[in-house]
Amino acid sequence: MTTLFELRGHLGTLAATLWNYGATFAVPTLDTYDSGEVGFSLSAELPGSASPKPAVIKLAEIWAPAGHDNFSRSEYEYDFIEHPLDRRRAFHGHDPDHFAREFRVLVHEHCEEHLGSPACDHYYGLPISGFEAIRQFASLWGQPGPLGCARLRCLS
Amino acid sequence: MQTKQFLSPADIAQELGISSATVLRMIHSGELPAILVSERIYRIPAASFEMYKAGTLRVASAAPLGRVKRRPRLAQGEVLPVAAAAARGAAVSRARR
Repeated sequence: MTTLFELRGHLGTLAATLWNYGATFAVPTLDTYDSGEVGFSLSAELPGSASPKPAVIKLAEIWAPAGHDNFSRSEYEYDFIEHPLDRRRAFHGHDPDHFAREFRVLVHEHCEEHLGSPACDHYYGLPISGFEAIRQFASLWGQPGPLGCARLRCLS
Repeated sequence: MQTKQFLSPADIAQELGISSATVLRMIHSGELPAILVSERIYRIPAASFEMYKAGTLRVASAAPLGRVKRRPRLAQGEVLPVAAAAARGAAVSRARR
């Protein structure tokens, strides 16, 4: 459970972590949605090669009300698209009904050694925090060699 | 000459005239942003080091509140695995016929 104030701090800390890696993006806001949920979405361009496009980290979370001034994370989308090295890694927790019905999981991952041609559409994964996602993306950023998609377990 | 995108703790130590152990202490304390590329191997983004030297590293603060928006659908464009279920169902139906 997290209060609105804590969520603002959570988002501020995620943003500061990325800014301190030299990423560029507009100041993110914690938005209220017409569903009564709150959440945010940001897309940060990382420094380094911009050919064909800069590497990007996208973070989005949706938090559902869970009692008075309390929220619990209901969905997330953490994406790392490293255009200069033509690859992608992502941790997703969205459309839980679909994934529960299809695979009896609530979250999944994506891994593309070459952008646009994944060996598997959805991989098994474990729930992950935004901070852990940034840590994992940063550990891949600019590092040569394969992402290791072959070691992941395919869902479909 | 191409600028390095990442620096090692030894690079930082040399530039600041301090020991690598001190650089590692700065990393562990959060004073210097770094990424762990593999077990016990840190790299410091060059941009982070520039900000450190300039004293422009950001301190986390509460994000501002935005306006009321329509609830977004996350991962738009991703094909949900419903089609896979339909395909499997069709295959099972064909096999039963």
